[in-house]
This record gives sequence, C-alpha cells and structure tokens, in this order.
Amino acid sequence: MSHVNATTFTIVVILFLVVTLIGFAAARWRRAEDMLHLNEWGLAGRGFGTFITWFLLGGDLYTAYTFIAVPALVFGSGSIGFFAVSYTIMAFPIAFIFLPRLWSVSRVHNYITPADFIRGRYGSRGLSLSMAFTGILSLMPYIALQLVGIQAVLTVMGVGTSSTNTYVKDLPLFIAFLVLAIYTYVSGLRAPAAISFVKDTLIYVFVLVAVFYIPTRLGGWSHIFGTAQTHFAAINPETKKPNGTFIPTSHAIGSTQLDFATLALGSAMALFVYPHIITGTLASRRRKFVKRNMSLLPAYSILLGLIALFGYMAVTDPVTAANVKKSGNAQLAVPYLFQHMFPSWFAGIAFAGIIIGALVPAAIMAIAAANLFTRNIFKEFFKPDASPALETKMSQWASLVVKLGALVFAVELPHTFSINLQLLGGVWILQISPMLVGGLYTRWFHRWALLTGWLAGMIYGTIAAYNVKSATTSHWAASSDIVFGHTVYIGLTALVINAVIAVVLTLILKAAKVPAGADETLPHQYTADPEQAPVPQPAGVGLGSVSD
Amino acid sequence: MAAPPSAPRGPQDSTITRTQNPVAAHPITSAAIGLLVTAAIFCTLFVPIYARITPKIGAFPFFYFYLLAYMPLVALDLWVVTLLQRRLRKPGTADGGAR
Repeated sequence: MSHVNATTFTIVVILFLVVTLIGFAAARWRRAEDMLHLNEWGLAGRGFGTFITWFLLGGDLYTAYTFIAVPALVFGSGSIGFFAVSYTIMAFPIAFIFLPRLWSVSRVHNYITPADFIRGRYGSRGLSLSMAFTGILSLMPYIALQLVGIQAVLTVMGVGTSSTNTYVKDLPLFIAFLVLAIYTYVSGLRAPAAISFVKDTLIYVFVLVAVFYIPTRLGGWSHIFGTAQTHFAAINPETKKPNGTFIPTSHAIGSTQLDFATLALGSAMALFVYPHIITGTLASRRRKFVKRNMSLLPAYSILLGLIALFGYMAVTDPVTAANVKKSGNAQLAVPYLFQHMFPSWFAGIAFAGIIIGALVPAAIMAIAAANLFTRNIFKEFFKPDASPALETKMSQWASLVVKLGALVFAVELPHTFSINLQLLGGVWILQISPMLVGGLYTRWFHRWALLTGWLAGMIYGTIAAYNVKSATTSHWAASSDIVFGHTVYIGLTALVINAVIAVVLTLILKAAKVPAGADETLPHQYTADPEQAPVPQPAGVGLGSVSD
Repeated sequence: MAAPPSAPRGPQDSTITRTQNPVAAHPITSAAIGLLVTAAIFCTLFVPIYARITPKIGAFPFFYFYLLAYMPLVALDLWVVTLLQRRLRKPGTADGGAR
C-alpha cells in the first residue's frame, strides 16, 4: 500500500464494518415466520411503507454510477453529462404512469419478477425467458459499474497492493464484495433496505457540505461556471475540436441537443423497467405508497443535479484536474476532488458514502437477477415443481454467482468500457418495454410479434453500439449514433425498430389467426390495491390460475 | 400445488373489483392529470426551451438553474396528480373506502 491516509482509511473501514453489521442484523428485521419463501428473501415480505420504500428506491436509483460516472462525464464532456439530471426528472412522471399498474397486478397474482407478469399476461414461456435473459444481461454490467465506482475511490485512497496481477491488486475490492455477497445471501432484500438508511444519510451530508463548502475554496460559483465555460470552448490540440459543450448546442453548430434529449428520454424509460427497480417497487406494501414515492423521490434528484456539478468543480480545481490527467481516468475526478478539498476525516465520510452507495444497489441488482433466474429460468424450464424453500435457496446461490460474474466484468474490462457497458445495458433493457409497459395497458400485441421485435432491437442495439468509434477506442466508444444526420441514443433507435416490428407483425399474425396465448390477468387487477399480500402459495407462475 | 397463487385475494375478491371506468366518469379531472404528467415530461425533453446561458440566476447559467429548479416542481406536479387521482375514485366504492 502506498501513501494511504490513516484517518481517511480508518473512517472508511469503521463505516464499512457498521454497514456489514447492519447487513447481517437485517435478517431479523421484520422477520416473517416462514423465511423460506422467495417473497421473504427476494421482496422482504412485500411489507415496506412509504418511508422505507423511499430509502430503498432512493438507494436503488442513485448508484455509484451517479456519484462517479455522471460527474466524470461532466468533467470530460461538459453539459451532455447533465442529461442524467434531465433523465431523472423525466423518469418519475413516466414511472408514475405505469408503475402502479405493475405493482397492482403483481400483488394480485403474487408475481415476484417482471418476467412472471409477462408469463401470466401473454401465456408465453419464450417471451418470459427473453425478459429474464435481458434483465440478467443488463444487470451484470450495472453491478460491475458499482465495483468500478468502489475501485475509483480505493485507487485515490491509495488502497491496493502494488502487484501487477489485477486480481491481487484489487484484493480490497474483492474482500468488500465478498462481505456484501455473504450478507445479501443471508438477509436478502432486507439487507440493502436497512443499509440504505446509512447510505442516504452519508450521501446527503457529504453532498450538501460539498456544495456549500467547495465553491468557497474555488472562488465561488461564478468562477466555477466561468472556468468550465472557457475550458469546454477551448480547442483540444489532439482532436481539433472543442473540449466539450457548456450548453447543449443547437443544430447550426453540430447538434448535441437531440443527443441530450434522446439520451435522457431513453434512460428515463429504461430506469423503471430495470428489474432491480421493479424489485424495490414490489417490496412496497400499498399501491398508494408507490405513487406517493414518485412525488417524493425527486428530492433525491436535486442531489443528482448538485453531484453533476462536482464535474465542473473538478475542472476548476487545478490540482484535481492535473491528478485526473495524470491518471488518465476521468472516473477519478470526484474522489480526487474530495481528497484535495476536504480534511482527511471528512474525505473518509465521503468515500465511505460512495462505497456504501455502490453496495446497496449492487445487492438489490444481484437479488433481482437471482429472482429472475430462479423464477423464470430454473423453475420454469428445469424444475417446475420446485418448493418455495428450494426457490429461495436457488436464488441465494444465484445471487452469489451474479456477483462473481460482475466482479470478473469489473476487473477484466477497461474502465471507460464499463460506463458504456452500463449504457449498453440501458439499450438492452429498453427492448423489453414494449412487452412490459405495453402489456400493462393492452393485450393487443401478439406474443410472437413482441418476441421478434425484441430480438431485432437487441441485435440492432448491440451491433450499433459495438460499431461506435472514437479517437481512443475502436468499439463501444459511446451509446449515441448518427441516424439520418442526427446524433441519437442507440437505445431509442432500437426501441423504435422494436416497436414498429411488433406492430406490423401483430397485424399479420392476427390476420393469420395465430393463437395469442392465455391471459390470466383481468382489467380491474391493474388498479387494485389489496391491503395484504396474497398468502404465498407454492404454485407460482403458471397458466390457468383464473380457472377457479 | 393445486391452489392458484392469487387464491386468498384472487380475481374474484369483491374488494378489489371495480366496475365503473373512472376516466369516463370524470373527464375534466382526467384531462388535467394527463396534461400535468405530459407537461412534466415535455418541459425537460424539449431542450431548446432551456439550452441557454442567459438569463443568469445568481451565478448559475439558465440551463443549470432550470434543471435544478425543475426537481421540486416535478415533485409538486406529481403530488397534485395524486390528489387529483383520488377524486377519480367514486366515494362509496370499495376502492375509495379502503383508503
């Protein structure tokens, strides 16, 4: 270990230990008599009120991606990074439209994963499998991104062995992740829910302190914005282009406005179809708690706006800018800024906040992916008669495997890559929105049409993202692409292709009278607000549940 | 194994059955809800509205001020929508009474 600040390090370790204790103790929190049901491990008994749901969803939505990658993008490219602010604004009205419906129908039918709903709505195992597959696929890089966030903090702290072997070098990261994996295994969704209280307190404290304190050290907001404006207008000698944009530009001078808007819209639409967010939502006790949270959660987004501004602070502070340049990794902008600006004890609190802020969503994501695997792949295709206890065991083990996979992702891939992989995850997950969001409103779409549309969207999105080049990398350089002369978020283009195919094929398949499959849901179930969760029954997903 | 997953509060449970379409019953409230939700999305989606440096609010260029100020407004907007939605439920139905 080289030049580790003892104070910072001690505070981070203490807070990490506190969180670990909470994680294990959470197993006893709101404990049910029968823990061996997936409703318990995977959805914490579906019993959370407005308050806990707020913390849980807040912890779930605002990840290390938010604290590290968004300011890093702002640091590197300027105003385009603020698409993240715009997208979290849009996400809530969009979610407000469909999320309560998903909650209701899932509660009535005791669906645990979004793929359970797809299965029940369309009576199609193939469609449900495609949903589960997409969910797991897009969660992997998202979890990996949390690790990259932790890694960024650890790098700046100087923690890590000097070995050239990446696996030895990242030993502290492995230990942190192993601990996380074990308490998630033990406590299920209760662990991240309990820890999110600590996480949010830390984050609120350090963000508010940073926003008021750092500008006084950097000569005020006018100076920060002024420096950023000059910096991004300057021509980069290597690329012969401006460093970035201070305000999204209109079409006359090379549009970034459309890029900004489509990135924001695409990400906003993707946000609430991510399985981990749906997991957090389904854990809520009442429909009205979900709705109420849509107007309470924007309080969090104000934080995001402020966090994005850290990118400009990093541009303004010459020491931070030089450090980042030396390391060649923009992800380090925020950790370096805090290290330079704060006394070491407060830097410790901020770093612990970021690390814990990565652990909470990573746990929920692993649980969501594990539930998808257990319910919609393992039980559906391999062991239809799996008992609730076996389902829970399976999910617990699957959560470990998912975390391991993410770890390999994080260590093996270059870091610029992982940010884009997350955006690629967004491209993928968007492709399930026609079947999921569409399905919440109408049964008009034909299941095979949706499946074909999904496949087309996935293939187009992956290939298009793969082919994006930049000055430094030949593939996966960004998640925007040029369509008809405009720079547009690939996810959205793929979604349009997906939807058009779904509509056209539905018309054809309906004309050909291809069987549409059974639908076990009824219209009024989408607005129902049953007070208690249905008593868990072993039957699980299956057709013909409405036969009684 | 024989019991369907939804048996205890299943589809036939009368407390969660609603027969009347609330949108048809309250066209004005429904339109207001639709407008409020759409406006919240549109005003951040349509970037040219706020992609400008001036007028500056304090030290903040308009673009940045707008995005930060939008957050509390969208929270308020959705809160009003939840209140309006309560009016959609007819008093006396099981759904309204359950609240």
